Amino acid sequence: MRPVTIVGAGKTPFGAFPDQDLRTLAVAAGEKALRNANVEPSAIESFYLGNFAGPEFTAQNHLAPYISTALGMNSIPSTRFEAACASSGAAFFQAFMGVASGIYDVVMVAGVEKMTCQPTPRVTEILAGACDCATEVKAGSTFPSLFAMIARRHMHDFGTTREHLSAVAVKNHENGALNPDAQMRKVITLEQAMNARPIAEPLNLYDCSLISDGAAAVILCAAERAREFSDQPVKVLGVAQASDWVALDQKPDITTFAAVRGAAKKAYEMAGLGPGDIQFAELHDCFTIAEIVAIEDLGFVARGRGGFFTAEGGTRRDGPMPISASGGLKSKGHPVGATGVAQICDLVQQIRCEAGERQLKRHSVGLAQNLGGSGATCVVTILGEF
Amino acid sequence: MMARTGIIYTETVVHLAPERFAADVPYQVVIVKLDDGGSITARVDGARVAIDDRVVESAIRDGISFFRKQ
Repeated sequence: MRPVTIVGAGKTPFGAFPDQDLRTLAVAAGEKALRNANVEPSAIESFYLGNFAGPEFTAQNHLAPYISTALGMNSIPSTRFEAACASSGAAFFQAFMGVASGIYDVVMVAGVEKMTCQPTPRVTEILAGACDCATEVKAGSTFPSLFAMIARRHMHDFGTTREHLSAVAVKNHENGALNPDAQMRKVITLEQAMNARPIAEPLNLYDCSLISDGAAAVILCAAERAREFSDQPVKVLGVAQASDWVALDQKPDITTFAAVRGAAKKAYEMAGLGPGDIQFAELHDCFTIAEIVAIEDLGFVARGRGGFFTAEGGTRRDGPMPISASGGLKSKGHPVGATGVAQICDLVQQIRCEAGERQLKRHSVGLAQNLGGSGATCVVTILGEF
Repeated sequence: MMARTGIIYTETVVHLAPERFAADVPYQVVIVKLDDGGSITARVDGARVAIDDRVVESAIRDGISFFRKQ
């Protein structure tokens, strides 16, 4: 296996864009990444697309060549990867292996989702397709309700509180307010976050991420050729993917995700690093409780301490372990198929010192955790200075 | 056949439901750890239940299992 770098990154703002269809968004992100890397489309040898439910949201299928040809890439392998909200994390993992193995020198990974073209109840139904439809969905579960059940058990087992959950939302909104590409650039108070209307108890509106349109793309390149394209290549120190049951009721303990622990262990091993070496992270806060569980599963805090650590300010930009300085899925937005690559773009921005007002002091080693469903897929990526 | 029994492992009350369950809102969804082994995602009949409550299967309607407090 040979070393791999990221030489270009680009993404669209996240939000509701009625005038931009799925392909327009993906092409915009792809062109930004190409420009950022000074790479011609003809130099790309393979295209990997992460997309969760393009056919359900937009009726268009066969999305990878539909997008890559519009980007000026012809004849190359062009494939879509689906792993619920971890779709583009999974695409990134496959792209990494294509370059690390020596098959390709330069590839593009993109992620895209166009969601706001459907009414909210239909969006909820499409998203629920990533649950176990024959059991969970049949009984009336939705994604908020699954994470609500995780929250309830976490509160029961560890003393996590309503206030701890809201501390995640307050912190992520504070960060997102500084991100020009974020969907909801609005600071919220703890009182607002705690008293919003219930969605699935104990989760309320401010515990849930957003319904978004958006796309993100990166160019991966063999390290030996990185300087041909970029003065600031970023190194992929480790990346791993793991899986688990789709149905929550099949997991022996729902307060921890086996797929997150599994992917993290392998990514740490590949990087030769441990949780204590990570300086900042972009985590998958599809719901506030998910961020609390993630900081525990990634080893940043002890089991059961995630809520307390968050409420004490441990994950703020000036805290010991800054989490989701971008605003996270909660404030930045969550076009599900784009999220994994968007997190990688956010790490690249911090490592290159291009994050403006959100720039962190310690920014040389960052981790991204991209979760699919209620923990059935997880991709963990560790990036660092080249 | 004896009705299935178990203990509430976790629960939530759903306020925003997919269209086909919209008329049921608010409704409680639970995971029951069954006494005979395994777990099931189910709905609740009657009074609201909490973690560690003992429950018994009270009905199966439209293929959905309902449990109530024992």
